[in-house]
Amino acid sequence: MIEIRNLSIHLGDFSLKNLNLSVKDREYFVILGPSGAGKTVFIECLAGLHKIKSGEIWINGDSVATLKPEERHVGYVPQDYVLFPFLNVAENIQFGLKHGKYDKQHRQKRLASLAELLGIDHLLRRDTFTLSGGERQRVALARALAISPRILLMDEPLSALDVQTSKYLRLELRRIHQELGVTTIHITHNHLEAEELADRMAIMSAGEIVQTGQPDEIFFSPQNEAVTRFTGSLNILDCSSCRELVPGLIEVNCSGLRIVIPHDEAEMQKIAISPRDIYISDILPPGPSLNRFKGTINTLDAGTATARVNVRVGNVALNAELPSELAKEMNLAIGQEVYLILRLRRLKALGNVEPNRSEKYGWYYQEII
Amino acid sequence: MHRYLQGVRGDRAFRVITLGSLIIITGFFIVIIVSLLTYTDWKTIGSSFLAPETLFAIKLSLITASITTILAVAVAIPVAYAISKNEFFGKNLVDSLLDLPIVISPVAIGAALLVFFNTPLGNSINNNLLRFVFSVPGIVLAQFTIVSALAIRLLKSTFDNIDVRYEQVARTLGCSKPEAFFKVVIPLARNGLVASGILTWARAVGEFGATVTLAGATAMRTETLPISIFLNLSSANIEQAVALIVILVIISLVALLLVRLITGRRYSI
Repeated sequence: MIEIRNLSIHLGDFSLKNLNLSVKDREYFVILGPSGAGKTVFIECLAGLHKIKSGEIWINGDSVATLKPEERHVGYVPQDYVLFPFLNVAENIQFGLKHGKYDKQHRQKRLASLAELLGIDHLLRRDTFTLSGGERQRVALARALAISPRILLMDEPLSALDVQTSKYLRLELRRIHQELGVTTIHITHNHLEAEELADRMAIMSAGEIVQTGQPDEIFFSPQNEAVTRFTGSLNILDCSSCRELVPGLIEVNCSGLRIVIPHDEAEMQKIAISPRDIYISDILPPGPSLNRFKGTINTLDAGTATARVNVRVGNVALNAELPSELAKEMNLAIGQEVYLILRLRRLKALGNVEPNRSEKYGWYYQEII
Repeated sequence: MHRYLQGVRGDRAFRVITLGSLIIITGFFIVIIVSLLTYTDWKTIGSSFLAPETLFAIKLSLITASITTILAVAVAIPVAYAISKNEFFGKNLVDSLLDLPIVISPVAIGAALLVFFNTPLGNSINNNLLRFVFSVPGIVLAQFTIVSALAIRLLKSTFDNIDVRYEQVARTLGCSKPEAFFKVVIPLARNGLVASGILTWARAVGEFGATVTLAGATAMRTETLPISIFLNLSSANIEQAVALIVILVIISLVALLLVRLITGRRYSI
């Protein structure tokens, strides 16, 4: 368990002000925020790499705020992984073990079990500069876990990876966390990572934690503008009635709009979809008529890269985003009639019954359509 | 001017100017080295090389330069690390002060050392602790004063290029600050350390101005390679001087090639 009380630090012009946070035992906690929000400084404070101005840090009941990094017993995976280039993979993983009171037999055993857990047995004799991004990430994680840390801190562990590797490693991180149960703080600027990984999460902006809660609470009930910016200005629609079409597929009535959503429960309060997951077309697109609606453009804000469009469909107004170039090509204008297509697998549901998280997010892991 | 820089003609002119300059300056040095070799023949160089005075100069130069390098690098490691990794009031002033020996004439530094040994403190050191003036320890001190600045500069640049996060990760893995320095920073700085050691040594072998001022130019006593060249030129013994210059050129060239070989390794920081 991690308890942070009134933590403050000043580093040049930047400061963290009176941060309070509580992370439960065995929890996977994600801190989401933009670059420059202070996420890295925050976990570096937890690792003991900065001297804090005031406040308390408690790990598993011990006050660690005044302890040196080597006394905190914290696993730390920095951004870009920072593997030691003069050591091979096995030596990197065993680095922390050589500074503890572990004999050679224990070190070998620990190395073998971590290599198996992370699927890097075949890399152990390799030099680190020959590894791919995903392999480096797993080696850095193994190195941090080797010392059996009381908590694990990860600084943007997936940001340097390509989309496919990142997607695969999100699953891996979840699996490893379930197997080891080590309390984890993971920081990221990617809300998809937060959605998929977090048991609970916090939004950090300008050196402050602005909202803490389960991903659903944050995405469905953002407390202010800073949070909304990170949840992607979701379209949140109230559901008046639901009916099961076939097992796993529910039709929801949202103020007259009949939306089909993959969900196990036939009860739900709200559904949400990101503006990025609503397609706009000026002609009737071919294919099944599932989740397609005809509407009229209310407002149009064409930025340099992204055009934001508000479309009225019956009694509902939906926000959609598309590349500005495409908006120009279609000659979109206020008052124009357009077709909206809601991406089925990107629809989120907030039900009355809370399913457990693997059920709740299982469909995220599938290939989206 | 602008239109001459554009198009194929501009590209070609740029290429001719840059590569032409490279060819001219390389040619200039090659001509100087070749003129040395054509001035005399290899037989004379060989016999000059085996002369007792030459062998003494080579031996003295190699020994003093090696001692100087060990001392300079040993001092430069903590000093360069302290400047590289710490921010403190007056850092720029201290940094500039440490650079002085690189820009000041070595003769002036030798003279300053000589003046120091004429003060009561310097005199006491010279008479009671170790004799520096006109003696072999004076050669090491003169070389050290000149080359330690170079060693500090080279090592500072090496430490500057080592990301502080390597040390931070080592600390989270259980290393104390000194342990992180020896187990992470030094291995990361290995190439830089070896390269600066070689360059420092080569510079110490070639040091003349400060050495001749403090240690004097006494044949077969304080006669390093550059001093031997100076003594031979003074007595119009050109063949001997040329042989010594060729030896100095070879030593320097090998040292510089070694540095490039080491710093061009597969990972470099």
